[in-house]
Amino acid sequence: MNTVSETKTDNTLLVDMSQVAQARDTRALERLFDHYAPRIRAFCLSSQPGANLMADDIAQEVMIRIWNKAHLYNPSTASLNTWVFTIARNARIDYMRKNGRYQSDIDPEDFWSEMADENADPFREAQQQRDQVRIREGLTQLPSEQQQVLSKVYLEGKSHSEASEELGLPLGTVKSRVRLALNKLSVIIKR
Amino acid sequence: MLSCHPTIDILTEYAAGSLPLAHSLGVSVHLDQCPHCRDQVRRLNNIGAELFSEHSAEVRPDHMASLKSKVMASLVNHEETQAAVDDNTAFQHIPRSLRRWIPQGFNDLNWMPLTPSFKLATLSNESGGAQIALSRVKPGARLPNHTHTGNEITVVLKGAFSDDEGLYREGDFICRDHNHKHQPRVTKDAECICLIILDSPIEFTGWFTRLLNPIMRYFHPNSAAT
Ligand SMILES: [Zn+2]
Repeated sequence: MNTVSETKTDNTLLVDMSQVAQARDTRALERLFDHYAPRIRAFCLSSQPGANLMADDIAQEVMIRIWNKAHLYNPSTASLNTWVFTIARNARIDYMRKNGRYQSDIDPEDFWSEMADENADPFREAQQQRDQVRIREGLTQLPSEQQQVLSKVYLEGKSHSEASEELGLPLGTVKSRVRLALNKLSVIIKR
Repeated sequence: MLSCHPTIDILTEYAAGSLPLAHSLGVSVHLDQCPHCRDQVRRLNNIGAELFSEHSAEVRPDHMASLKSKVMASLVNHEETQAAVDDNTAFQHIPRSLRRWIPQGFNDLNWMPLTPSFKLATLSNESGGAQIALSRVKPGARLPNHTHTGNEITVVLKGAFSDDEGLYREGDFICRDHNHKHQPRVTKDAECICLIILDSPIEFTGWFTRLLNPIMRYFHPNSAAT
């Protein structure tokens, strides 16, 4: 497996991120762009196939938010991938909100703030990294039907009921496939 | 420890960004007070992050280069100003994600009395049909009997109430579907303020309170269509 090289990439990106936050280093932002912008575009195109203009707009918006919010990033509360993913997810929702699909007075930036304010905890940073590796490895081992619903839900941004319509499956089946996947990835916390 | 949390299905849709925004607002108000669900959402975000980072698309290099120079040209070098934290006591019981809607505290909202012990203040009528409102009920009062035609999410902001299924306290998240008929009662010690998110108008089922239905419809965005 290439886990080692991927972890190395993650660390290079983290260094670039801290250069952006602390030294306002534009070269480092360019390297973050090279890595993330194609992913942000792909993420947008999964929900709106063919919408290249939208994908460009959102990629641009997300990179600017990364620059502006760099000082808020805290590696002990979220991995860099998770942080960028949440910014891209919010920007995609915001774009939809402003361009028709769900017109709304609600600004997604008002919430999803839960990651910004936690206290730093080095123990948690190590835990975060272990969780991330476990999920990365677990995802490749899921049955394809479970991978398929996860990608509908997370990448295409489909609700469970939209996914059930598109896949021609009962809603209960979609929900249980998602839950099975979450269980296999040990993501569910018992109460 | 809170006793009522969003289901894992709801939290997953929240993390994936596919939950309707009005419902997401209710979830975020709960997260404000529930470390357990915050932790759960953090882990759900990690799945999204992995899928996101493993999924890239080929783009023409010159296209990416011109997009990159656009980004670099539009950077402005000032730190984003942090929103001022307001510790005014008027903000007690008002979760962060609702402060934009309730800038001056609960008392300053436009409360509509529906019965002598029950008031409603609308925060937003969403174009998709959802209504976001606060309900305010006097200590010990019963709410009028009602059913829902869509889903109803309730998050307790202040005080407590109970129904035949249990007691709900500050921070609790309750999601009821349209099959549910219930008559909540507020505890005697204090008034109760809840955030309510409705997919469609509440129907009151008592003989007297049926008179309220036209009023509720009037205040609900879907009413104009029917
Ligand atoms: Zn909870």
